[in-house]
Amino acid sequence: MSHNNFFSKITGVLQPLIFSLKYLKGKRWIIYILIISAALSTASRLYVPIVIGLIIDSLEAKAFSAILPAIELIMLLAGVSAVSTFITNFGSQYSSQIYAYNLRKKLVNSLTKKKVKFFQGNSSGDLLSRTTMDVDATRNFLMNTLSQLIPTIMIIIFALIYLSFLNFFYALFFLFTVPVLVYIGIIFQRKQRKHWMNIRKQYGEMTERLQEDINGQRTVRTYSLEDSQIAKFQDTTDSYFNEYMEIAHLRGFYNNLMPFIISLAATGVILYGGYTSIIARSQVGNLVAAVNIFNLVTMPISFLGRLIVWSENARAGIGRINEVLKDDMDEELTTSGNFPGENDVELRNIKIIKGKKEIISNLNMKIPRGGFVCITGETGCGKSSIVNLIPRLEEPTAGEVFIGGIDVREIPLDTLRKNVSIVPQEINLLSGTIEENIIFGRSAISHEAVIKAAKIARIDDFIDSLEDGYETLIGERGLTLSGGQRQRMAIARAIVTTPSILILDDVTSSVDPETELNIFSEIVKNVKGITVILVSLRYSAMKYSNETYIIKDGQAEILEDLESLDIFGYGDSR
Amino acid sequence: MTESYENAEERVIRTLKGRKALFRMVSDIAKNRRGLSILVISVITTAVAGTFIPLTIGEAVNSVNNRSITGVILFASIFLGLAMVQFASNRFRAISSTEVSQKTVKDMRDNAFKSIHKVPVSFFSIVKSGFLISRITNDGETIGDFLTFQIPQVVSGFTTVIMSIAIMLYLDFNLTLYALIVLPFLSLFTISLQGKVRANYLKTRKTIAAITGNLAENIGSVRSIKAFNVERYVEERFDGLNEENLRANIKASRLSSFYGAVVRVIEFLGIVIVIYAGALQLQSSLISIGILVAFIFYVQEFFDPVIQLSQLYNAYQSSIVGAGRIYGIIDSEKEEVPEGSRDKEDFTTDLSLKDVDFTYGMGDTLKEINMEIKRGDKIGIVGHTGAGKTTLSNLILKLYLPKDGEIDLDLVNTKLIMTKSYRDIIVPVLQEPFLFRGSIYENVRIAKKSATDEEIREKAKEFGLSRIFSRLPDGMETDVGELGRNLSEGQKQAIAILRALIREPDIIIMDEPTSNIDPFSERDIFMSLGKFAKNRTLILITHRFSMISLVDKIAVVDAGRIVENGTFEQLMEKKGLFYNMYNILYGKTDSDPL
Ligand SMILES: Nc1ncnc2c1ncn2[C@@H]1O[C@H](COP(=O)(O)OP(=O)(O)OP(=O)(O)O)[C@@H](O)[C@H]1O
Ligand SMILES: Nc1ncnc2c1ncn2[C@@H]1O[C@H](COP(=O)(O)OP(=O)(O)OP(=O)(O)O)[C@@H](O)[C@H]1O
Ligand SMILES: [Mg+2]
Ligand SMILES: [Mg+2]
Repeated sequence: MSHNNFFSKITGVLQPLIFSLKYLKGKRWIIYILIISAALSTASRLYVPIVIGLIIDSLEAKAFSAILPAIELIMLLAGVSAVSTFITNFGSQYSSQIYAYNLRKKLVNSLTKKKVKFFQGNSSGDLLSRTTMDVDATRNFLMNTLSQLIPTIMIIIFALIYLSFLNFFYALFFLFTVPVLVYIGIIFQRKQRKHWMNIRKQYGEMTERLQEDINGQRTVRTYSLEDSQIAKFQDTTDSYFNEYMEIAHLRGFYNNLMPFIISLAATGVILYGGYTSIIARSQVGNLVAAVNIFNLVTMPISFLGRLIVWSENARAGIGRINEVLKDDMDEELTTSGNFPGENDVELRNIKIIKGKKEIISNLNMKIPRGGFVCITGETGCGKSSIVNLIPRLEEPTAGEVFIGGIDVREIPLDTLRKNVSIVPQEINLLSGTIEENIIFGRSAISHEAVIKAAKIARIDDFIDSLEDGYETLIGERGLTLSGGQRQRMAIARAIVTTPSILILDDVTSSVDPETELNIFSEIVKNVKGITVILVSLRYSAMKYSNETYIIKDGQAEILEDLESLDIFGYGDSR
Repeated sequence: MTESYENAEERVIRTLKGRKALFRMVSDIAKNRRGLSILVISVITTAVAGTFIPLTIGEAVNSVNNRSITGVILFASIFLGLAMVQFASNRFRAISSTEVSQKTVKDMRDNAFKSIHKVPVSFFSIVKSGFLISRITNDGETIGDFLTFQIPQVVSGFTTVIMSIAIMLYLDFNLTLYALIVLPFLSLFTISLQGKVRANYLKTRKTIAAITGNLAENIGSVRSIKAFNVERYVEERFDGLNEENLRANIKASRLSSFYGAVVRVIEFLGIVIVIYAGALQLQSSLISIGILVAFIFYVQEFFDPVIQLSQLYNAYQSSIVGAGRIYGIIDSEKEEVPEGSRDKEDFTTDLSLKDVDFTYGMGDTLKEINMEIKRGDKIGIVGHTGAGKTTLSNLILKLYLPKDGEIDLDLVNTKLIMTKSYRDIIVPVLQEPFLFRGSIYENVRIAKKSATDEEIREKAKEFGLSRIFSRLPDGMETDVGELGRNLSEGQKQAIAILRALIREPDIIIMDEPTSNIDPFSERDIFMSLGKFAKNRTLILITHRFSMISLVDKIAVVDAGRIVENGTFEQLMEKKGLFYNMYNILYGKTDSDPL
């Protein structure tokens, strides 16, 4: 084994520690304090056997008067030890919690910067486990490193120092064990790496399954999928269990080998020390102290193995966390520039490829300012994909999008999205009150504005009918609202800020036609001058618009003959 | 004032408290007899071997004092032998402790998962999925770690303590009493902190669950968050929770560290008392020096586990709180299966709703609903948004039970029909299509396990859906992604329709199945649906009047009541709500809304 390799393996155990230091900015002094206090606490703890050895020597010499000062010394050591124990325990927990806090904050920060595309490639259950349990695995390691690894290292150092004071050869016995322990540790670490990576992966999988199952309960129930869902979940927990067992087998051997090595050395000390003491007719105090020290070291050494376990767990977690922290999927931010004065929209030579499929081949579209335009087309033809380009929720494979003649990529993202309100087809309500959901975190929106938006979206009557009105809490994913109510909530959310461009992606599909037309006319009446882009499949909506584009064969054309779409004959009487 | 999410959650899933959770966990652990016996035996072996070590060392010291080399060799060998025994037994201990504890956690998780399939559906509109996930995954993990490392510690701790005391008693009775003097103080101190420690840990578990819940929500809503440019707001909301969690944890660890420090002082006190008392006894030649040496070792040996046990106390509190939370899910109230429930093979005559009332909790959502659906009927249900149409279908599907009145299938109260068999008869297309990760084939196959790819393709064609699927990059092999995010909304609906039809149910209930599907495909679906439903019963909730000619009778729901009922012609003649709604589309209403 080359030197380099050897050291990199030792530092490998510490890799999570190095990682975590990044998130302890400004708090690193705690670590120095922890090292000092660990030194103090081990020094004082290990000094006790020596004092006891001395006491035994004086007892043997029948020098009882020496005992009282020795006892006072022990109580002094107790004080030191208590204070340093407190510092070690509290300090390690404090700093590891700070670390977890900072890391989580950073993770949420990077998540919000990611492109929408990122969330299509990663399931939310898995992301969730990366931001919770993987963080926790690393936190756990940090805490244990600070509270146990440092003291263990200290114990080894002090044991060595004390032993060499007691007897040079005793120290030598101890010294021999160190490389052996390190070697065992390295093998142990290498052998379990794969299993920890699997465990972390399985954990993500478990979270995913749970989340999917909970979200899909109604489907699960109405299709009687309970048993098969349970079986799948159990498969995951089974594999999880099996990986843990694999690690247990490794741990059973390697981890216990370490204290055994110490015992081997202690045996040597007893034999050697006993023999020399007999030959030299010396006192036994030294020998007792030495064996006692060996004894005290065994325990922390067996913790060392456990630390390696945690370290591997943490490493696997860090790998997964880093994938989220990577910035290659971040949205690009343009920092300067204003939103254009005009709000006409032009899509030029747009091409969109999804997966391997070309959805849009060459699309051109001009939407005049202040227009009320409908986009229609067959299911899956790319309507949502097209409107998502305008606030840059998606990027085209080729082509440009202009607002007021300015390329959207030249408008800072937050300015762009502040001025372009899109109501996506899939609606998310957050847990909170109705009012909070309409305001949706944007600043400086008055209660009156909320009410006005609710009126336009035709949801005000419903809200007023509720006991708590706008303060009514709505459940996760808005489950307590009906389909149409949720869509209208989303519309209210979009118009509460008076945007320049309003995009409604088929958000009235669950609203009855009467209410739908009322909403459109309210929007037109109340928010003058804005450009409205409507995605709809309904004839009634098309009839209401100034102009209708139909997406066909990856291109857009203006639909001159509305009646051609009226295949159910809405136009004529029945 | 409405109750907060947290309180509502607490109400629905209770958290099993302290001792109850512990006993429950212990009895769960005890179920794994074999593993547990191996664990206990190996741990006791280790501990017993361990307690002999000081004795051996003491004897070795005595041999040195007696200048007996053979004695030294003998006791050194015994010492090594004991270490070897420990090595072997520790091996078993590591393996069996993992087995016992991870098995317990696995069972807890599995049982919690099973439980969420038996609770009433209303459970999910109160409990956030993030809370459930946190309880099942996060709390489970805490327990797993705790059990793996701490059960053996506890067993070995107790064994060591008992063995040490026994040997000490054997060596010298008086000195033993001195050694134990500090124990009552230690226990008193521990008990006095108990309540606070538990409250602290409960807070940490709750705050971490809140974090998980918030993250789950944010990750799920990322599209809206981006669209409305409110990343900052989301971050701030998260920061608040993150901070609360930090504070709770710091508070908990401050107390536990204080506790550890005090215990340390008590330990030293114990050693000092022994030394002092021992010295006095030695002075009056009551004991030998070898015994005192052994004693000093034993006192330390005995305090180690005591200290560990007391440190473990913190971990114990934290995981017992976690266990209580998982048991809460396992115990949450199940949907009851009334006495005399039985399977129902098929649907022969009629499905009828009699004076059905329903509420989700506040106000009546449905009132005095009466419907008579004969086998082979095609019923349309229309009404304004929020009128209660989906609720009505939820009741028919037995997702919720009526508050008053009853729903009968062939004159048997559906309450008394085993839910599983009932759901073989009636199959829905829900208003919101839900897709599992996997291909379209896999998503359809959940409805009919035996369906081959071939058959699924055939059916798609038959039901007029193949045009919709033809746009997909890999056709029906396409991986739909989480919640079907790789598909368009209409494509998702198409899958939900295919899924329902391939099951060939007696009754099919569709809740706006084509709201996101274009009129051309809609027409195809609509025509094939007419054929498909020929010998079946169809309940169709729709805003699309295009679908109306598919049904022979229409019920109009308004504000939770059925206000009109009859054939299309009858309703048009009536010039009521239906007439008005219908005419919106024809642009010739009496009161033009524009
Ligand atoms: N993440 C993705 N990966 C691969 N293909 C995708 C992805 N998202 C969408 N698609 C495909 O792109 C096409 C266009 O989707 P889009 O959502 O824009 O359609 P749409 O016109 O809005 O349909 P609908 O009317 O059903 O809402 C669909 O065929 C869909 O399968
Ligand atoms: N889980 C729930 N808890 C509490 N209230 C609910 C729940 N689900 C629906 N509601 C309320 O019950 C009423 C009827 O809702 P329902 O979903 O049945 O309407 P709907 O007729 O299907 O409307 P839409 O046409 O918009 O789908 C609504 O006011 C809604 O807010
Ligand atoms: Mg779409
Ligand atoms: Mg509905």
